[in-house]
Amino acid sequence: MSAESLLVNVEERGAAGDATDEFMRRMLKLPMGDKLLSCIQCGMCSGSCPLGYAMDYTPRKMIAALRAGRVDDLYRSEAIWLCVACFNCTYRCPVGVPITDRLIAGLREELLGRGVGVPPELQAAFERTSRYGNPFGESSKKRDAWIEDAGVEVPVLQGGDSAEVLWWVGCFGSYNKRNQKDTIALARILHALDIDFGILGTDERCSGDLRCTSQGEEGLFDVLYHHNIEQLGKRKFKEILVGDPHAFNAFNKEYRRLGTPLDVSHYTQFLAERAPDLKRRAKKEITAKVAYHDSCCLGRRNGEYEAPRVLLETIPGVRLVEMPRNRENALCCGGGGGANWLDSYVWQRTRVPLAMQRVQEAAKTGAEILAISCPLEVPRFEDAIKTSGLEGRLQVREISHMLAEAIGLNGGVRP
Amino acid sequence: MIPREVVVVAEHMAGELTDVTLEMLACAYELARSVGWRVTCLILASDPKPFQALPLAADKVVVVTDPGLGSPNPAAYARVLPHVLKDLSARLVILGNTSMGIDLAGPLSHDLGAPAISGCVGLRAEGDRIVATSRLCGGKLVAHIEPQGGLAIALLMPGSFHKELGMRDDVPPMEVRPSPETLESLPVHFVELIEPKMEDVDVTRVDVLIAAGRGVQSKENLAPLEALAKELGGAVCATRPVVDQGWLPRTRQVGRSGMTVKPRLYLALGVSGAPEHTEGMRASGLIVAVNKDPEAPIFDVAHYGATVDLLELVPILTEKIKEAKGRQ
Amino acid sequence: MKIAVVLRQVPDVVEELVIADDGRSLAEGEVMCITNEADEHALEEALILKSRQGGKVTAVAAGGDEAKDALATAVAKGADEAILVAVPFEHRGDNVRLASVLGPAMKSAGYDLILTGVWAADQMDAGLAGLLAVHLSLPYVGGVMSVSLEPSGAKGLVRKEFPGGRLGVMEVSLPAVLGIQSAEQPPRYVPVSKVMQAKRTLQVREQAEPSPVVQGIRASKLIKSGSAAKAEMLPGDAKQVAEQIVRILRERGIA
Repeated sequence: MSAESLLVNVEERGAAGDATDEFMRRMLKLPMGDKLLSCIQCGMCSGSCPLGYAMDYTPRKMIAALRAGRVDDLYRSEAIWLCVACFNCTYRCPVGVPITDRLIAGLREELLGRGVGVPPELQAAFERTSRYGNPFGESSKKRDAWIEDAGVEVPVLQGGDSAEVLWWVGCFGSYNKRNQKDTIALARILHALDIDFGILGTDERCSGDLRCTSQGEEGLFDVLYHHNIEQLGKRKFKEILVGDPHAFNAFNKEYRRLGTPLDVSHYTQFLAERAPDLKRRAKKEITAKVAYHDSCCLGRRNGEYEAPRVLLETIPGVRLVEMPRNRENALCCGGGGGANWLDSYVWQRTRVPLAMQRVQEAAKTGAEILAISCPLEVPRFEDAIKTSGLEGRLQVREISHMLAEAIGLNGGVRP
Repeated sequence: MIPREVVVVAEHMAGELTDVTLEMLACAYELARSVGWRVTCLILASDPKPFQALPLAADKVVVVTDPGLGSPNPAAYARVLPHVLKDLSARLVILGNTSMGIDLAGPLSHDLGAPAISGCVGLRAEGDRIVATSRLCGGKLVAHIEPQGGLAIALLMPGSFHKELGMRDDVPPMEVRPSPETLESLPVHFVELIEPKMEDVDVTRVDVLIAAGRGVQSKENLAPLEALAKELGGAVCATRPVVDQGWLPRTRQVGRSGMTVKPRLYLALGVSGAPEHTEGMRASGLIVAVNKDPEAPIFDVAHYGATVDLLELVPILTEKIKEAKGRQ
Repeated sequence: MKIAVVLRQVPDVVEELVIADDGRSLAEGEVMCITNEADEHALEEALILKSRQGGKVTAVAAGGDEAKDALATAVAKGADEAILVAVPFEHRGDNVRLASVLGPAMKSAGYDLILTGVWAADQMDAGLAGLLAVHLSLPYVGGVMSVSLEPSGAKGLVRKEFPGGRLGVMEVSLPAVLGIQSAEQPPRYVPVSKVMQAKRTLQVREQAEPSPVVQGIRASKLIKSGSAAKAEMLPGDAKQVAEQIVRILRERGIA
């Protein structure tokens, strides 16, 4: 069944303009949706989009198409699925058009609703998240299996339990073998700092990451939200510590918007507050030039650029260098917007994968370590390093793992 | 003790008995000899000639002929079989757990008033009782089933027995009889059999196969597998879900409805090992499996296994093989 | 054109399977159920037929509460009607029983085509599709990969798969039961919001099991496999495993 055959129905409803009216009516009902009307067609969005060159409809052209009453062209376009939700366009728009969160998300929602043109890998990720609470399709009962290898006690809070800090581990940190060592590192750091913490264990489900991975799948986010706040409500805690910037964004922005304000911080922010203590403990040197990659969800979306750098500077031997595109100008690793599942799809339509561009940029600064704070980046940059032939010259390391090494906590955990 | 009759319903394609038929005969023969029962190989065909003088492991061969039995039409078989099986006083009927056998099981079970047991990997007789062993739930569970009453129908999984044991030294007597039922006005009419379009690779003729299962996750991830296959002088094949997604053509599919292969090396990557797949490759010389799940049934048929991330392993493996070849 | 699709709930093997105390069945509390994959394909094929030539699709699910979820998903995908036949957990894998229950329940509805998966993951018996055909005295072809219907609705043309990648093209007189192996397209996506909405507005016609009910075969013993001859597991990380594999291959002269 092609996109063509199902879109025939749209045209049968009258002029193509009707479908556009319907789309715009939906947009206008949403907060900030009316900003779509304020677009001045300056092209800042298209210019700052890292994949704009591969899109038949760049963000600016998408709005132009809407104005011409041609939303069907957008429904047929593959550009919608190339968006990595890096937020560059929205960040730079001079009139504040919510491109990522309204325009792209709205178009995706329409296509997801029709079951048309949806890349099957993305479909599978949504179905697995819906069923198992994680996009990998692994058993929800195995979500906290990683704690067996932690080497320190990781308290699992049952209903009625309390702790000062609730540590939200996240899907990647829990299940992905390449990220588990970093999760374990963080567990050991929290232990060393005597933090009274606990995790939800198997009651934790994907945060939903509405604005990024789950663009257009509000229903899924809704179900996960309700499950998660019910589980959170059963425990007593003062603040939430999140390992994953995607989950951090979900809690900080969306949960708050939906009526559940939480005192939440990303682990780099949490630890940066304790920087002097960490600096005292960090006795082991990591002598290297380190470039920090600002993740989109922590950086552009939530404005946190300094905490990770503060942490890196507590490590003796580390010399921070900056990539040309740093902080709000950082180049996305290419894993957002569901693109983490769409590598095949995206790579067939673009030239150089974003992750490869980024690691080459890091290597050019002379950095030996590319430090990151988002678990998606570990496999993406590691693979890009191999494909770019930079193996041996550049290493990807999660900040928690580097800190734990500096404090001498990484024994028995494979590097 | 009255010797019971075991009847194997043969499958054939293009005038040749399929491998599963020989496996069924091997199973039947072993069972029958253990309790003094007899084996009949039952062939429904339009022409008995291709099946003459075959040294099959059976006490007798019965060929039922009719022009309407010239193609694998399930309705034709369903009309003829119950009568013939009753006539042969069958006590145990063995069908292949294949696309042909599964079609027949339901109607036959009803017409004979006998239970049908699918997914059998083992069949034995204890005195007058039959005990079947079946695999279910993607191979993760094994069930022992003892059908009550007289007649039972068992569907045998391909690859469960050695087809070589389905042949003996001598040729059993053959009897040809006409179909007891007319095959006019069947509700199913066989139009044609479409052979698969062979592209450049015939996976049944390749020495080294790299099998892509669901764990490969995306079409793009096939590229490193192709590179590995090239390094080893082999080809990439796939399980059904991968082919259903359109990542590889159906000619690369290994398993029940795809190809049966026996390469020197079968490297199963991200393959769970469900019986529908393993029946197509379990006779391979060396089977190495990589799957994140240590309980994946593939490890029951593999010689070696690992639970590392296959996407991490493949490029490294390709490199090391290159290195090793370079040093030669 | 009235098409019915039968959806069965089977144990989800992603979760660990736990044997019940009786040693011959699965522990009810531990089992997570999922719609049988081949039945998902049957639903997809039905929806494709509906989009091509119109008609009504009725989803019939056998099971308990989780079967209601399957019906809501089917309706969200485009099924017009939902029927639930309640079947106790311990009998859900018994296709002989299911066929004896569904047969009478579906006979009077006058379906032109009944689609269901050609096999189910938890199957030990002849399979629902063929048995249902017998109860309804309808022709049956299994292993179907595609269906097309004549405009008159009197016949259907199916492609049935045979070993070796071959396809048998057959003409089937309707009404008929078809055992679907896989649909022409992978099962379509339906967003969670649509499923939730379908759940809220779902109108299910419930049908109880008629009695007395026929019983099929039962296992005398059920065990988890993987005890005997297992693979020798290679320890270590990807690099170490790769090294060991190369060594094994070179020992055998394969690399």
